[in-house]
Amino acid sequence: MRSSMTRRDFIRGTAGAVLGASAAAALGQAAAVPAGKTRVVLVRHPDALDASSAFNRPVIQRMLDEAVTKLLDASDPVDAFKRLVKPEDFVGIKTNVWSFLPTPAPVEQALKRRVMDAGVAETAIGLDDHTVRTNPLFVKATALINVRPVRTHYLAGMSGCIKNYIMFAESQEAHHPDSCASLGSNFLLPQVKGKTRLNVLCALTPQFHGRGPHNFSRRYVWNYKGLIVGTDPVAVDATGLRLIMAKRRIELGPDQEVPPVPKHIQIADTRYGIGTADPDKIELVKLGWLDDVLI
Amino acid sequence: MTDIGSRLPGQVLGWKASGQDAVYDRKTLYDYMDGGAEVYLAFDFRGVFVRRYADDAADEIVLDIYDLGSPAEAFGMFSLDRQDPEVEIGQGSEYGPGLLRFWRGRHFVSITVAGDEDKAEAAVLELGRAVAPLLGPDGDPPAMVAALPAEGLIADRTSYFHDHVHLSNRYFVSPENVFGLDAATSCALAEYALGGDGRARLLVVRYPSAERARSAEASARRSLLPGAGDDGTAAAGKKGWAAVRTRENVLAAVFEAPSKEYAGRLADAALRPAK
Repeated sequence: MRSSMTRRDFIRGTAGAVLGASAAAALGQAAAVPAGKTRVVLVRHPDALDASSAFNRPVIQRMLDEAVTKLLDASDPVDAFKRLVKPEDFVGIKTNVWSFLPTPAPVEQALKRRVMDAGVAETAIGLDDHTVRTNPLFVKATALINVRPVRTHYLAGMSGCIKNYIMFAESQEAHHPDSCASLGSNFLLPQVKGKTRLNVLCALTPQFHGRGPHNFSRRYVWNYKGLIVGTDPVAVDATGLRLIMAKRRIELGPDQEVPPVPKHIQIADTRYGIGTADPDKIELVKLGWLDDVLI
Repeated sequence: MTDIGSRLPGQVLGWKASGQDAVYDRKTLYDYMDGGAEVYLAFDFRGVFVRRYADDAADEIVLDIYDLGSPAEAFGMFSLDRQDPEVEIGQGSEYGPGLLRFWRGRHFVSITVAGDEDKAEAAVLELGRAVAPLLGPDGDPPAMVAALPAEGLIADRTSYFHDHVHLSNRYFVSPENVFGLDAATSCALAEYALGGDGRARLLVVRYPSAERARSAEASARRSLLPGAGDDGTAAAGKKGWAAVRTRENVLAAVFEAPSKEYAGRLADAALRPAK
């Protein structure tokens, strides 16, 4: 059987993809990544969650700090965030409030703290999900930070940083056909275009398979204790997909390796040009705990 | 759906009904499901009744009773996601930690747990046994499921659905909708045991017209089996043999068959008119 695009193609991406122009790069402050590559940092810590799976706030702050510092080859986390936002910026932190697996509050707070450390007033920082289109701070935002957990999704295959911006769309339903192939277009909306400075895909407790009425079952969530961080949302999601696939291969078998059908990640690259999905063009830097790292 | 609330138990073991019951229809289902509503809307979903039960520790059991309009649709909703052991509730059921699913008549039911799943197990099963008798009478699964070739059929792996997204979640064929599936098509996807670990897959699609079936056959052969001969069979590398054939408004596609002969035979058997 031959297909115009195989399952493997989803993670291979396509040749000739244009590297996404991150905010950092646009500011002339890109990290010293190999030529033609975009950097993604995976940071993990065995104590990110305690024995009862509660989030460890100080550890998560350190993880974020290490990841962003390495991402930009900065001297320290405050220096790194100063490269991402300026004191005069209005910063919208686009979070995710899905009740079964929301963005962990310690991650939101860690981001907000560093944005403030970079000189942005607390009153100029917004945190929102469902009402970003009308939230006054997001309407006038000059910088966005994109943060959410990684999980599988029945229609889109995977919910990551690309899908997180669906709330900026006038119609969410309009993005549902063809496995949500058009999700990347939301990064080109006037309210969004060119403003995303950082993408944080929370892999603290990823969900690798969905079941039940809300496509969620705790059986398919595991304590990976990681964060995937980058300035390129497509590269971050492509890395998250690799993680989900690796876990599915182990738990569900090779036939179920790819969650159907995450084509929107590749299409965000090839059709919308907002980043790179090609793993050959992604420099994955791994920090911290490496047990069962999977990717 | 609203009248069923008065007949449901107010308490199950140590778990008491809590909060307001809720009912959602096709227009409001998105208010209940932040992601996932399309799974139901792709069937003939009419409404869902939701009741929550809580224990002293504030752990929750959530009862969802879905009206799918017909037994065939209710079976389809149930059939999409089977992987846990049968627990003999309703006309078909399964239970795994934190999730009971069953169907009866035109209803599909899911009971989920938010909190300690082991602690809630007895109450979840008890609640299921209390709800099932309220949802009668029984109904028949889709006729096209009953008509699937019987030899080697793994019955509890058979699913019924309508559109491409459900096919992709059950069995990945292509990222594109090469069979032209939509709300107007009815599909049965089945697995056949071949001895050892071998399994072949059979997709049967009933289209609104013979013209659409022929168009889908051409599309599928072009995309999936470019090397197929006039008989619609082709080798698929490590995936064995595949076949795509039609008869009137019905298409049969076989995947992962051990031989060309078996692929063709299974496709023909699926297309044979019911006696």
